[in-house]
This record gives sequence, C-alpha cells and structure tokens, in this order.
Amino acid sequence: MNTNQKIAKVHLTSRFRQLLVAILSVSFGISMYIAMNSFMAGVNNIQTEITFTSMSHIKIYNDLSSTITQISPKPKDSNTILMVNNARNIQYTQGIKNADAIKNELLNMSEINGVALQLNEKVFIRNGVSNTSASLTGIETVNENKLFETAKYIIEGDLSELDKRSDGIILGVGLAQTIGVKTGNTISVTTSEGVSKTFKIIGLLESGSKVRDKTSALITIQTARQLFSKNKSYATDILVNTYDYNNARTVAEKVRKLTDYKVESWQEGNEQLVSSSLLRDILAIAVSLTILIVAGFGIYNIMNMTVNEKIKEIAILKAMGFNGKDVIEIFLTQSVAIGLIGGFVGLFLGNVIVQMLDIVPFKIASYNTLPVVYNIKDYILAFSFGTIITLIAGYLPSRKASKVDPVEILRG
Amino acid sequence: MNAISIQNINKHFYDPVEFQVLKDISFDVKKGEFVSIIGKSGSGKSTLLYLLSTMDTKYKGNIAINGTQVTGLSQNELAKFRNEQIGFVFQFHFLLPEFTVLDNVMLPALKLNKKSKDEIEAEAIESLYLLGLKGQELKKASKISGGQQQRVAIARALINSPSIIMGDEPTGNLDSKNTNIVFDVFKELAKERGQTIIAVTHDDEFADNCDRIIELSDGKVISQ
Repeated sequence: MNTNQKIAKVHLTSRFRQLLVAILSVSFGISMYIAMNSFMAGVNNIQTEITFTSMSHIKIYNDLSSTITQISPKPKDSNTILMVNNARNIQYTQGIKNADAIKNELLNMSEINGVALQLNEKVFIRNGVSNTSASLTGIETVNENKLFETAKYIIEGDLSELDKRSDGIILGVGLAQTIGVKTGNTISVTTSEGVSKTFKIIGLLESGSKVRDKTSALITIQTARQLFSKNKSYATDILVNTYDYNNARTVAEKVRKLTDYKVESWQEGNEQLVSSSLLRDILAIAVSLTILIVAGFGIYNIMNMTVNEKIKEIAILKAMGFNGKDVIEIFLTQSVAIGLIGGFVGLFLGNVIVQMLDIVPFKIASYNTLPVVYNIKDYILAFSFGTIITLIAGYLPSRKASKVDPVEILRG
Repeated sequence: MNAISIQNINKHFYDPVEFQVLKDISFDVKKGEFVSIIGKSGSGKSTLLYLLSTMDTKYKGNIAINGTQVTGLSQNELAKFRNEQIGFVFQFHFLLPEFTVLDNVMLPALKLNKKSKDEIEAEAIESLYLLGLKGQELKKASKISGGQQQRVAIARALINSPSIIMGDEPTGNLDSKNTNIVFDVFKELAKERGQTIIAVTHDDEFADNCDRIIELSDGKVISQ
C-alpha cells in the first residue's frame, strides 16, 4: 500500500457510517439491477415457453395468394371496354400435397431442430344429442411431442396410445366437458363434407390455454388423411422448430428458397409477443440503470462532502509536496474502494433477492414459483455498470480536490 | 550560494479591485540565516512568504531557491521541489486530524520515498522526542494540545531535512512558554544544522532575537 492509498484508507475508515451508507447505496443499486433483470428474463422465458407449447418457430402452409393476377387479356385499343363482374380470388389447391418431400429437405438444414406435419380441419363432434364444433388436428405423435412436449399436457391416457389404435382420439378437457364425455367413451366425428367416423376417447389434453382446451381434438395424421380422403403425404401445416427461436426469421428466409408455400416465422405472426418482451427488457434496464445512477449521485454527494470537509487537509498535503495526481489518487481510491466493496456486496445481495423471488409461490404454466433466470451476464453487467458509475461519481469530486489552491485555503 | 534570491517581485490582486500588494521587491537570504519578515497587517508579508513557498505562482519577477530557478516550473515540479527543499510551519498547525502524531510527521518523508519506512519512523520518533513529545506519538493529532500540535507541525516540517523552513506566524497562536520552545528550536536548527529559516511574525520579541529582520510596508521593503 503506498502513501496515497494509506491516506485514502484512513479517510474511509475514520468515517465508518458514511462509508457504510455509500457502500449500501452501491450494493442496493447493483442488487436491484440483478433482481430486476433476472426476474424480467424469467418472465420473458415463461412467456416464450407458453407460446411455444402450441406454436412452432416457423410454420409453412398453403395461403391464399395476396397478389391477384388478371387472367383476361387487356383490351387492345381504347374503344374496347373490359368488364369483369364478381371477380374472386379463389384458392385452387388446399393444403400441402408433397409435405414429406419438404420435410426431408428441411431436416437436412443444420439450423432446424425438428419438423412435424399437421392436418388441421374443422369438424363436428357428436355424443348422442350434444354436439359441438371442434378443430381436429392430425399429428405425427413422435415429432409433435418433440416440438411441443405434448405428452406433458396429456392428463389422462397416453399420447403414444394414438399410434396403437387408429380410432383413438384425444380431446381437450374443456371440449370433453362441453359434450359430456370421459376417457373410454366413444364419439362420432363429422367432417364438413359429411363423412362420419366413430372414435374412442383415449386421453385428455390440458395445455393451459382455455381456448385450445375447449376446441382441440387430436388424432394421428394417418387417420386424418383417411378421414378427409387425402394422399399419404398430405398436410395442411408443416411446423418447424429451430435450435434458437431468436433466429427463426433468418431460418424462415432460407426455407422460402425451398418452397413456394407461405413460410411464416413466429415473429411475423406474433408481433405483439416480440414487442412486449422487448418492452419488458427496456423497462427492466431503464429502471435498474436509474437506480444505479441514483446510487452514483449518492456517491458523488458523499465524495463531494468529503472533499469540502477535507479541503484544509488537501491544502496541507499540497503544501507538503503532494501534487494534483496524488490528490486525485487519494480520493479516487476511496470511491473505487466503495464501488468494489459495494459491488461485491451487491452481487451477493442480488443473488439472495433472486433466490428469494425464486421461492415465492406463484402458479403460472408449469411453474409453481415466480420465474427467475440465473444469468451470469446480468451479474457481470451489474458489477461493471456499478463500478463505472462509482468511478465517474468519484472522479468529479477528486478532480475538484486536485484543483484546490493551497494558498487560498491556508491564508484563510 | 544564497538560500533564497528574489529579484523585482511584483504582485497584484485583481479581486475585488486591482491592487498592487508587492512593489519591486528584491533581496537575498544566506544559507543558515534566521530571518523574520515583519510589517503591519496588509503590508504584504504573508503574500511574500507564499510566493517564496512556491505555492503561489501568480507574480512577476524572479525567485531562485538554493540556486534553482523556481519561477516558471510546473505545479507538479513545484510540488516535488517543496517536498524536498521546504518545510512549513503555519499559524494554525494544520495537522491531519484523523492520523496519529507519528503518521503526521512521517507523511512528507513517505511521499518523498527516499528512505525506508523504518528509517523514517526512527527519525520521526527522534525528532518528536527532541521537541518534547515523548509518549504522544500514537495519539490522534486532534487529541493533543495546541502547543503540542504546533511542535508536531515543526517535527513534520523537519522530517525531510529541508534546506529552508518557512513559518507563517509560527508562534502566533502560542503562549509565551511554547513560543520560547519554538524559537529555541528554530535557532538551534539554523545554527547547528545550517538550515535557513524564514518566518513571518507579529511578535516583536521573536523578531528581535533573529539574525535579520526584513520589514515591509505597503508592499515595499523599508529595512533589512
């Protein structure tokens, strides 16, 4: 420890209470930064998790073309008038006929984690006198489970049962309640074209989304193709999951080169999700930075008071031959010490707060406590922001101290 | 070689109105001389001392200390120069209150960093004993009496064996007993160690016992 640091140490330790307040203000700022960001990241994670229980990162489907080409030739001269009455944009093809070929190509792409085909149609479900409309989804059970962990949400029965019997169906709990059926009962499904088939309920689905639970019914895609008389490679939707859902947009761009069907990344279909998680991030950072800056003002204030209090001592040090740099070192050392001690205490305190949040009971999706994320990046950022702010807050008063004119002070 | 040599010093104050404090002052001080500067208040004697101390650099003229031209040196160079060459004793002792007596005495030497800490400590203790402060060295500087504090300040001024010791009314705040102690210490330093002493004082008795008196009036040297 050199002489300047020794002086800094005496200054710090001789006013313990002020030191404590300064350290606490830094710790508070840093711990709040950590707590806010860990919590917000947890909330964002849960939001995405809920979202992706039923939604894939990229969806490929047959969309009605939005560009309408005029089929009839333009009139050759201005004396002829062309009139088309009742022009309509008609969908010529439905669904995706060669889904397997596209699926194989997709699986060759390194960014893609999994692909599942679905056949979605509206149907009527009838149980004796009670009947209701439902959306029937033909799924590839293994792939579906890989993408959405569907098996986790089957509360009765088993997803793999679907593959064992072709007349098996899984109903959403809300839907089963609506028509008053239980596992083991049989129901009849009628398509819009009037084809009926009897299914046996082998399981119930509770996804957490009320709407979904009230409308959805799952069967295997093979059975669905039969029911709707489609070829064996038919699907209405190809659902694609990437390794990192944040990359969905760029992957979607690549997929567009493979197929003419509509390729939609989750961000395009759900702008509100993207913007709300972005807004939460901005809010968390803004609030926590504000807290850190307020802590910085606290340190600035304390250091400023210290400099004013010690102005005679600064003058005497200068008279004894300490130069401006020494004075800056003396006072900057103090704020760096406050910053570092406060920083470490803050990291510890922040972690304690996050752990406490982690055990607060709060039921949401598959969580029973408040969602938090332990991210080392938050800790590093909080610590560096905290120390940078203390450094700035300490430097300004130090510079003022270094400019003290000893003559003015000593002459009184 | 002269300990201090000043030529044609002029200094103005500009705030609140322009006022010439020092008018064309020139004199030399020999090595080992015990000089006191006297004059009525407002005569510019303290101003002159702070110019000599190298802390105040806003003046016209030329100051050389121990053959070194200090006029025109940078603040950092001057700080180093003061550390090595000049010791100060002020009217108000100006110790660092949170440090022990011993630390206060040692600080300038620690800053100079030419001797080991143990050597510095030994010297500091020796000089505190010389000034009759045995047993006080580990007390906080704010916990000893005014007379003792002033003697600590002298010990601090001596620690780097400066060639020049400057005092701004070093006895201004002391009773006659302590004044005599301080005076005797100064006298001894000048005689035995050959250190030059230059002190601003109001105390006529103090001044009369010095080797030489420089009297200022309205910014001019009227006798020396």
